[in-house]
Amino acid sequence: MATAVLILDESGGVEYVNASAETLFMPVDPVGCTLPALFASCGATHGGEFFTLADAGAKPTPVRLRLADERLLDCTLRPLSSGGFVLGLDDVTALVRDAELARCDPLTGLPNRSSLRRQLAERLADARRTKQSVAVLYVDLDRFKAVNDSLGHPVGDALLRKVADRFRSALREGDLVARPGGDEFVVIQSGARQPEAAEGLAIRLVDLISRAYAVDGHILHVGASVGIALSPDDGHDPDVLFKNADLALYRAKAEGRSCYRFFEADMNERMQARRTMEIDLRRALAFKELRLEYQPQIDLGTGSIVGFEALIRWQHPVRGRVSPADFVLLAEEIGVIVPIGEWVLRTACKQAAAWETPAKISVNLSPVQFRSGKLVETVVSALAYSGLPACRLELELTEGALIEDGDLVLNALSQLRMLGVHIALDDFGTGYSSLSYLQKFPFDKVKIDQSFIRGLDGHPDMRAIVRAIISLASILGMKTTAEGVETQAELECVRAEGCSEVQGYLTGRPQSAEAAAALLALASPVLASEGMLK
Amino acid sequence: MSEKLHRLVYYSRNRVTENSEELTHAISSILTSSRVNNQRVNVTGALMFNSGCFAQVLEGSRTAIENTFERIQQDHRHGDVSLLAFEPAPTRVFRNWSMGFIGASVKDAALYGVMVQDSGYDPAQMTGDALFERLHRLALEEEGALAFA
Repeated sequence: MATAVLILDESGGVEYVNASAETLFMPVDPVGCTLPALFASCGATHGGEFFTLADAGAKPTPVRLRLADERLLDCTLRPLSSGGFVLGLDDVTALVRDAELARCDPLTGLPNRSSLRRQLAERLADARRTKQSVAVLYVDLDRFKAVNDSLGHPVGDALLRKVADRFRSALREGDLVARPGGDEFVVIQSGARQPEAAEGLAIRLVDLISRAYAVDGHILHVGASVGIALSPDDGHDPDVLFKNADLALYRAKAEGRSCYRFFEADMNERMQARRTMEIDLRRALAFKELRLEYQPQIDLGTGSIVGFEALIRWQHPVRGRVSPADFVLLAEEIGVIVPIGEWVLRTACKQAAAWETPAKISVNLSPVQFRSGKLVETVVSALAYSGLPACRLELELTEGALIEDGDLVLNALSQLRMLGVHIALDDFGTGYSSLSYLQKFPFDKVKIDQSFIRGLDGHPDMRAIVRAIISLASILGMKTTAEGVETQAELECVRAEGCSEVQGYLTGRPQSAEAAAALLALASPVLASEGMLK
Repeated sequence: MSEKLHRLVYYSRNRVTENSEELTHAISSILTSSRVNNQRVNVTGALMFNSGCFAQVLEGSRTAIENTFERIQQDHRHGDVSLLAFEPAPTRVFRNWSMGFIGASVKDAALYGVMVQDSGYDPAQMTGDALFERLHRLALEEEGALAFA
């Protein structure tokens, strides 16, 4: 709408109005009214009193009035050379609302990322003057994605609105909560005694956010992980504080979620170390730094090698030999385990196909490979390219794969089984070791974790567990392998308990492809039948 | 569909256990505010309590129940909420909003009995329904657990 213009006489009475002004004040006719009376008639707040005519010359900037119906007007008063005044009124309601929206996340009404950054910068400036600390709490919802994926975005959105309300209810005067995006929230806490106040708030938030929600007829549960950074110790700059709070959040999530962690200086170094490791690991395949070693598996009945387990090795030019324990988890997290796993599979199959005797080759699978959805295809291709018969390939998985994506994994295992590939359950006895997994899929083999084998001869309780696993597997028609056999006494124990195969330093260390092929070519038993090492 | 009658049943750990005066104050403020709020959105039900826990049945439209439950969840005076049911219900069992003391402690009964006696709470409403009887038993267990804590 065009600017509404009112001409006032020297005492502030309205003499003339344009069409816009008539519409603006409808149904009141402004002509003849005094300005305070006119403003009072439309319920203007913080209006009249500033608006004394004496100020007119000294007030070049507009004064903003809020009317009873929430309209916002910017008013400018200028003296006329002929005496009297001209008053211009601009309706800025839509402009202001748009600007507010630009600062707010439309879903929850909370400030967005840019607004958050600006407000943190202001508070940090204040805090520096008053020598106080500002806390930044970075909060990430646990299991939110599962809600969104299983029940859809409308339910996820309704949940986020409720979560935002819980934040509001947990905050004290002066705290600020924002939603920078997704399922992340940030709280700024200033004017409080730190770190006590931030810790108290983090505890409240973890409790409050993790309480059940009733949304669209569903009962939903999410959790909250919190990372905290404090100015000035953890940084003076908004971006540094955000980054450090985020690092602390990463730690909170790594240490089990639904908890809070304060930023510590070494988190940065550790994250840097992780990043360079990540870069190196992504290049490892291209630079051909990975290779396989093969550890013999011995049949306890015949004393002969029945197969080898392919074990991955990483030789980095600077780091030297990196233990799989130090890089496999990271490779899974960043997803490079998929191409690495494929390389392992193809290399191991090719190697085994070249052996003179038809020994088996065992290859470990990561849960992440199942999730990639291409595992069966990759196995088919590796077998076809190498010419290795499917029955000579054994794939090993841990129960971890079955816990996370049970149906997906069982489906892939069934397809692999139909190809003729053997399936072994690895590291059995650790983790949850739910017996239900043994019932869910007919594994060909159960590998008893080395923690039950090491020192077996001196521990009747461990021996009882091993005996139970072997007897259970045997009833279910599954073979057993004792992992990590290192002494003759351990070997005698597992043999006496009826274990089918052994694998360990005693009967053969992991070795190069050439050494493994040579060992296999000897074609004589590694173990004599009476159980002595040759 | 959201206007279809629903029922939500839960019990939670009472965190106002500092002293009986504080609990009395908390209970009376909960009673007052829930009366006002619930009447407005036509939610009826019963709130039962003892020194160990709160147990509550809410009946009303799904939206009203969800909003009421959300307000309850934000209350710091309780925690460890265990939900027993959230489902459509054929009819209202509780026609009004009432509150009752369901402890075994004689001392507490004397203390809180007067305050809640005029809220219209009828213990008989809690019998005859398996879910409510279970709620009642769980609430008594919570009170017992506190006594031995």
